Parts: sequence; structure tokens; C-alpha cells
Amino acid sequence: MSASFWAGNPVVSIAVTLLAYALAIRLHRQWKWIPPIVAACVPVVAVLLMLREPYSLYNRGGSYLTWWLGPATVALGFPMHKHGVVLRRSLPRLACVVFAGSIVGMSTAGLTAWLLHAPLPVVMSAVPKSVTTPIAIEVCRELNGIPQITIAMVILAGVLGATFGVPLLRLLRVHDDRAVGAAIGTTSHGIGTASLVRQSEMRATVSSWAMAAAGVFTSLLAALLALLMRW
Amino acid sequence: MDYLWGTTILVGFYLGGSALHRAGVPIPGGVLGLLLFYLALASGLLKTAWVERASTFLLRHMVLLFVPLTIGLMDMRELLSRQWLAIVASLVVSLLAVLLTTALLGRWILPVEPGLHKDADCAGQGEDR
Repeated sequence: MSASFWAGNPVVSIAVTLLAYALAIRLHRQWKWIPPIVAACVPVVAVLLMLREPYSLYNRGGSYLTWWLGPATVALGFPMHKHGVVLRRSLPRLACVVFAGSIVGMSTAGLTAWLLHAPLPVVMSAVPKSVTTPIAIEVCRELNGIPQITIAMVILAGVLGATFGVPLLRLLRVHDDRAVGAAIGTTSHGIGTASLVRQSEMRATVSSWAMAAAGVFTSLLAALLALLMRW
Repeated sequence: MDYLWGTTILVGFYLGGSALHRAGVPIPGGVLGLLLFYLALASGLLKTAWVERASTFLLRHMVLLFVPLTIGLMDMRELLSRQWLAIVASLVVSLLAVLLTTALLGRWILPVEPGLHKDADCAGQGEDR
């Protein structure tokens, strides 16, 4: 049944992915600690391996879903505008904080990988690791990195920051809601922001603005980096 | 109709941004689209009500959109087994560096305005400790 059933048919790929995603959401609602992305990917990979369907054939359909990351990036402008209105008085200072965080994040990620002798595409995949997935992927492509590696790092950065970020900041006696929000949004994008929603509205608001701004700053800085490298 | 209209607007901005990118602007098309979209919202050309539901929907289900790329990790077992140390080290070092920079700089410069200070204190009470 394997080859004739799937055989790179894009509709089958999309249907299987949607089904896995819907189940993953259910699982996540039941058991909060299961990340939806893991729960959605594992069954699809299992089915692909079982039917010996190569990834490249699956991705004929998968790439239609990936395309929508573009409009999703545009959609980030909506929370950025909504929260920007609330925060307008502190926006210039907040922008400075996020900008500094973006520079530090890109350079430390790239340098650490480079110092450990990772090949250039892996180094470049590490550079956008702090920002929200759709922007990280676009930046990774601009820098000729490997999108899959970037995604894995982005998700880990989100989960680690959401879990250990706030306790670590409390240890450092950072209690100010704006500072905490800016730090978590810049470090752990949407996953971190979601974890702040239950703590305080100000934290979540600053965090979602910071997450969108970090994405924009990182792609501007990456454009500069790409120009320098071509030089 | 709400979703359709909003989604069409988002796709339009994405295609516009991509066209600018192809014409030579060195910023990714999606981010260019985001900037134009933000400007359109901030200037009032675009009403928030037109795009609110479509934007929220797309952002809420963003995980679905990166499932296919993540599955691509299955073809990278060899690369991952050779490079995992560099990847994990880079992740942890950079995570701590960003968290510390933004939190300490934020604590230092964000509450300077008197109006903000009061606001931040009120919101902060009760959560910590």
C-alpha cells in the first residue's frame, strides 16, 4: 500500500500533518508538559519511516504549509502595534534593551558555535536562535544556514527560557515587570511570552512587543552581516 | 468573511514584502511585510478590526506551520550526531547572555521615568515571593 498511497502526493502530506497537529493539540491540553511541536512531529516521522517515504517526497506537500510562515510573520505586526500603543512612553528605552539583547544573542550564539569548530552553515543556523520561528527561518535562509537546525534551537531556547528564565531572574533580583518581560520576550520569543501570561499582564505585554521587535532587529542586523560577508 | 478578508490582507503584505526583497532590499520578505503592515496599522490606514481575527488565528496555530521543516531533522541525524556539542553549547551560552543583558539593562534603564516607575511597582506587587 505504501508507495501507491502516498508517493509524494501533496494532499496526503498536508492531511497527515493536519491530523498529527490536531492530535498534538489534544494531547497538550490533557498533559501540559508535552510540547505540541514534538507531539505533532513524532507520529509523522514514524509513519514516514514505516512506509519508507523519503522526506523530500513528504515535503512536496509540507512546503505548502511552510509557505504560510510568511503571512504569519506579517501577522506579528498586529500584537506589536496593539502592545506598542499601551507601552508607547517606554518604547524608545525598551527598543534599546531589545536591540542590545539581539546583538548579544546573535554574536554569542555564532561565536560559541564557531569556537567549537562547527562548519559555517551550522554557525549561521545558530545566529537567529533567539527569535520567533518564522523570522528565524527567514534569517537563517538569508545567511545560508540550515533551517532545521535553527528550528530545533529556537524551540529549545523557548522551552529553556520559559522554564528557567523567571526563576533565574528572581535569583538576580530582577523583579521589575518591564525588565522581566523584555528579557523573556527577547530570549524565548512566543514560548516564553506564553509562560508569562499567567503571571502579570504587563509582563506578557512587554514580552510580546519585545519578541516581535527582537525579530525585526535580528533580521536587520543579519542583513548587515550578510553584506559584510559578501564583501 | 472576517477571516478571509484579514488573511487576504496578510498575504498581500507578505507578497508585497517579498517583491521588495526580490527587487534588492536585503531584509527578508516576511519582515518587510511586517514593517509595512505595522506602519499601515500605526498610521490608521488599516483598521485593527479588519485583521485582528486572522492575525490571532495565524499566530495561535503557528506551530502547525513549522511542523514540516522540523520533520526535516530526520534527514540530519548524521550532522546532529557530529555537531550536537557545538549546537547545545551555543544555545546555552547565548541564552544566558541574552537573558542577563536584557534583564540587567532593562532593570537599569526602564524604570527611570517617574510615571513608569509607579506603574511598574503596582503591577509587580504580589507576583514575586
